[in-house]
Amino acid sequence: MKAIRQIFGGNLRQYGMSFALILLLIFFQWRTHGIMLTATNAQNILNGYSYVLILAIGMLFVIITGQIDLAPGSVAAVVGICVALSIKNWGFPWWAGVLFGLLVGIAIGAWQGAWLAFVGVPGFITTLAGQMLFRGLDQYIGKAASVPVPKEIRYIGNGYLPEWGPNTGLNNSTLLLGVLALVAIVALEIRRRARTLKAHGTAVPLWAMVARLAVMTVALGYLTYLFGSGRYGTSFPVTGVILVVLVLIYNFIATRTTIGRGVYAVGGNRAAAALTGINTKKVYFLAMANMSFLAAVAAIMYVGRSTATGPSDGVGWELDAIAAVFIGGAAVSGGVGTVIGSLIGGLVMAILNNGMYLVGVGADLSQMIRGLVLLVAVAFDLYNKTQGRPSITGTLLRGLHIRERGEATGMERPRAGVAQS
Amino acid sequence: MGVAQGPLLTMHGISKRFGAVEALTDVDLEVHAHEVVALIGDNAAGKSTLAKIVAGALTPDSGLIEINGEAVTIPTPAAAYNLGIATVFQDFALCENLDVTANLFLGREMHGALRRSDEEMERITREVLDRLASRIPSARTPLGSLSAGQRQSVAIARTLIGSPRIVVLDEPTASLSVGQTAEVLTHIERLREMGLGIILISHNMTDVRAVSDRIEVLRLGRNNGSFVTQHASYEEIIAAITGAPRADALRHPTGATLSAVS
Repeated sequence: MKAIRQIFGGNLRQYGMSFALILLLIFFQWRTHGIMLTATNAQNILNGYSYVLILAIGMLFVIITGQIDLAPGSVAAVVGICVALSIKNWGFPWWAGVLFGLLVGIAIGAWQGAWLAFVGVPGFITTLAGQMLFRGLDQYIGKAASVPVPKEIRYIGNGYLPEWGPNTGLNNSTLLLGVLALVAIVALEIRRRARTLKAHGTAVPLWAMVARLAVMTVALGYLTYLFGSGRYGTSFPVTGVILVVLVLIYNFIATRTTIGRGVYAVGGNRAAAALTGINTKKVYFLAMANMSFLAAVAAIMYVGRSTATGPSDGVGWELDAIAAVFIGGAAVSGGVGTVIGSLIGGLVMAILNNGMYLVGVGADLSQMIRGLVLLVAVAFDLYNKTQGRPSITGTLLRGLHIRERGEATGMERPRAGVAQS
Repeated sequence: MGVAQGPLLTMHGISKRFGAVEALTDVDLEVHAHEVVALIGDNAAGKSTLAKIVAGALTPDSGLIEINGEAVTIPTPAAAYNLGIATVFQDFALCENLDVTANLFLGREMHGALRRSDEEMERITREVLDRLASRIPSARTPLGSLSAGQRQSVAIARTLIGSPRIVVLDEPTASLSVGQTAEVLTHIERLREMGLGIILISHNMTDVRAVSDRIEVLRLGRNNGSFVTQHASYEEIIAAITGAPRADALRHPTGATLSAVS
């Protein structure tokens, strides 16, 4: 057990959730007789759910601050219609349409952020109003009609990376991405080890790092094969590339920047955050503005995939995003949650949905099952928190947690004797 | 008492009103380096108001504040921090969801161009905890898993980030167990050894007598007695707090400071 911990280190909860995700994949792989893990299905999952995962990233930051956003679905609808109409009727080139859509998203986000941060209307109310307001606005602008989008936008929502170079049996763009990712992971791992050594004088043993890298290489290799081995002309999808880039950026913001720390502080103890000089209004404003910005990104991907806008675009998106974030371990009261967790939470929902569809479970039953999964996951988490026990996946790995505490204490360098004054 | 040079902090003629209520009237206070000044008084005596003025959370209506002999204004907590004043507020202003290091540096994180300097902050945190001889297991422990006493240690350690000269502690031992209180008092002695001037607000006479050098009594928003701790009797101090006749006899008509023991 100690060996496993040394290999994977860090956040066991997230590791455990990934474990649950893998179990789910294996289960459906078995039940669908191998359809689940084919290139086509993997590509479909990313194309069909990336936009929800991107919304979940935005929702995570809002939920960490202790607020909620009920409007991103309606915001996405407005953005979708603005992009489509600006290109079709105003003669915008496709990229200007995309830019315009993102600006509309940011503007709406600023509107909602301002009501929350500067007027003090709770996020729940601000965005409930926003949900109605922007749904109506979408229908007012679009006259409830369906407006097609050009092929460049379709590429964003449903496209694949180019084929080029020698025949490797895989899509070479996917192969290149896989190799680049591997190089980046190895480089980061080595740098991190050097940093830890410098700061603590100790680090995990070399064999643990090598084992960890080996596991990652195998996983990355498999994903490269899975996405790259589809029919000619398909690859790791464009939606997936956008998703990965956003996950990397927002994970960095959440874990490594001062503004990210501010978001957690405001959610953990707003009064304390204010006393320490954190600009709490700025944090609320940015969280809300960012949510709508990401809703705009999601909207562009979605209208690209569905090739046209429609009056019911984005209906219910906010609920999918909220579910992903909470399954991913965020706290209802704020202050807790991670980007990777939300990503995994969203993937759990996506794979449940996709798997049940493949198995032939009807939409009625599928919805009921996903509802129960959300309920049980959060209830189990809350129960374990009140019992002071590790969370759902922590329970699977309880032995490791004890080890973790022991090590945390053991790693501290010995203190100088307590001299009495 | 080691009062070599002039006072670190001088407050003179401080007054503060909240609507019709006079919270502070013409209050004086001096704090020297290497000195713990206890600010005591009954409820609503104006202790916390005075502390908040020093901390920059409130601004006085009138009066003069000098630091090292220079007149200053303290309009915000950030201004106080820049003047070298650090405050531990009554209910620990800490975030339970963050770890010890994050709490120590909250609102003043060290960072490079993009990234926070987490390793550096953690190193300084361990140093500060060592200096306070604190019993916190790790700089990475989430605050939520610490005891109330350990959290108070973190709050006090927080004051040592930057280069403080004056530390204000508002009821640091309220709601702590006996053992935890002893630990916090040890921390206060450490702060004094480091040459800081400390304002300790407390209800607890035992703590005050254990750790302070001087005692300033406030009563109904006015100075009501000033004592050298080692010479002051319990009865004298209580009399000053409650306004019993004996302290009243000593009070100057204008309410200015009068040393009960000169």
